[in-house]
Amino acid sequence: MIIALIIIGVMFLFGIFFYNSLIGKKNQVTNAFSAIDVMLKKRFDLIPNLVEVVKQYTTYEQGTLTKIVELRAKATSGNITPAEKAQLDSELSSSMKGLMVNIENYPDLKANSNFINLQTTWTESEEQIAAARRTYNATVTDYNNAIMMFPGSLFAGMLNFQPTPVLETAAEERKNISAKELFNN
Amino acid sequence: MQFGIDGNVALQQVLATMEIERKKIASTQTKGYIFILLGIAVAVLGIMLGFPILLPIIVGLIPLIYGGILHLKISDNLATYKNAYKRDVIGAALKFLDESLALQPNAGIEASEFVYTQLFTQDPDRYNTEDLVTGSAGKTRFYFAEVHAEYKTVTQTKNGTRTEWHDIFKGIIFAADFNKNFNGITIVRPKGFANALGAWFSKNVFSFGGSDVVKLENPDFDKAFVTYGSDQVEARYILTPAMMERILKLNHETKYDITLSFIESRMYIAFPLDRNYFEAPVFKSLINAEALNDDIRAVKFMYDIVQELDLNTRIWGRD
Repeated sequence: MIIALIIIGVMFLFGIFFYNSLIGKKNQVTNAFSAIDVMLKKRFDLIPNLVEVVKQYTTYEQGTLTKIVELRAKATSGNITPAEKAQLDSELSSSMKGLMVNIENYPDLKANSNFINLQTTWTESEEQIAAARRTYNATVTDYNNAIMMFPGSLFAGMLNFQPTPVLETAAEERKNISAKELFNN
Repeated sequence: MQFGIDGNVALQQVLATMEIERKKIASTQTKGYIFILLGIAVAVLGIMLGFPILLPIIVGLIPLIYGGILHLKISDNLATYKNAYKRDVIGAALKFLDESLALQPNAGIEASEFVYTQLFTQDPDRYNTEDLVTGSAGKTRFYFAEVHAEYKTVTQTKNGTRTEWHDIFKGIIFAADFNKNFNGITIVRPKGFANALGAWFSKNVFSFGGSDVVKLENPDFDKAFVTYGSDQVEARYILTPAMMERILKLNHETKYDITLSFIESRMYIAFPLDRNYFEAPVFKSLINAEALNDDIRAVKFMYDIVQELDLNTRIWGRD
């Protein structure tokens, strides 16, 4: 009788421990996701300044600039899903890359200290977003492992924990040194 | 010979002059050793041949003392010679590599900085440092120095207490300005048994300190190192996939595993080493400069780290 009670007690404690650790891991995933959001916001905040500076010096980039401003407006409008946001961000990135290439034709702009500053911050934010995404994927993997491996899989099934997909990176974004190549040529 | 030392007339002249001094010191020291050995031999032989015990000891003592005096007399010259070697030879040779390089034989990395780097978890009880080299490669300033840090253990024995000294670290600590801004602390330690166990505990049971284990996606890197960071995102901002590859490559080039830490936009690397660098040879010729070449190679290795880790790419908001 006593032995049975002890076994039940131990199993109960074990259950609590496991449940808490799963919740902890799940919260880490949420936390890591909001870190990406913070980094994205930082990047979106750069755009108005960047557009202003570029506008002063360029004549033929109006189309690209308008597109970038529109994308930013959409991305910061608030009522979009994370997946849409990621999609907008990747579109924004490729537009920006195109713009940066064209900027080679404007030596005055390239020499502008304000622009150089923004450009550095842009690259910095790009690398930070990459880091945040990797952090997110690491926490997701950790969480998925916990709920898919035995004995976690038992609890996860009962308590309805679902595996979360990792973030896939667009092929062009996979090389996160691309920004450097872009700015240095 | 390498690094253009051979073709440098001025340096060769300095070496030739110092070679005369070296020979003088070497021959005096050899003479001293011979007399000391002679003294011991006489004493031992005398006792074995059955002379009254005091006689061979006294007779043996005379050459022994003379040998000791010879060593004592030359010790000043030896110190001057060693200092001159560091100043005139190493100092000049460093300039070949890069004008900015300079050696300060009596300076080093302070004990407080050693603790601050958090490269090692144990605080030193005895600490020695010398031969600080400072310089810059491109836009990146760096410095490194020889460091020997030890801790002691005191054990109770029958005859009282016994103090033993153990190495925390012996080798070169390298510090360079990192090319990205960061506020937290990231530490990369080789994956020894203790570190692996500690990492497992801190990941699965509870974490201590402000630093958590950072699980990185490069499997080779994860196999070789345990990474701790106060900020998960920041640790990955520093340790990009490219940076992890470069660190692995650097680790392959050294005999012992390296430890790295990133604190307040500066990086520290600890290279454990067996030998003492920048010391003048006494019983080896200066002319073919084997030791000098080894020293220069070590400095070149440190100098090249900046290139190898791509620290001169300054596009992330740090000039």
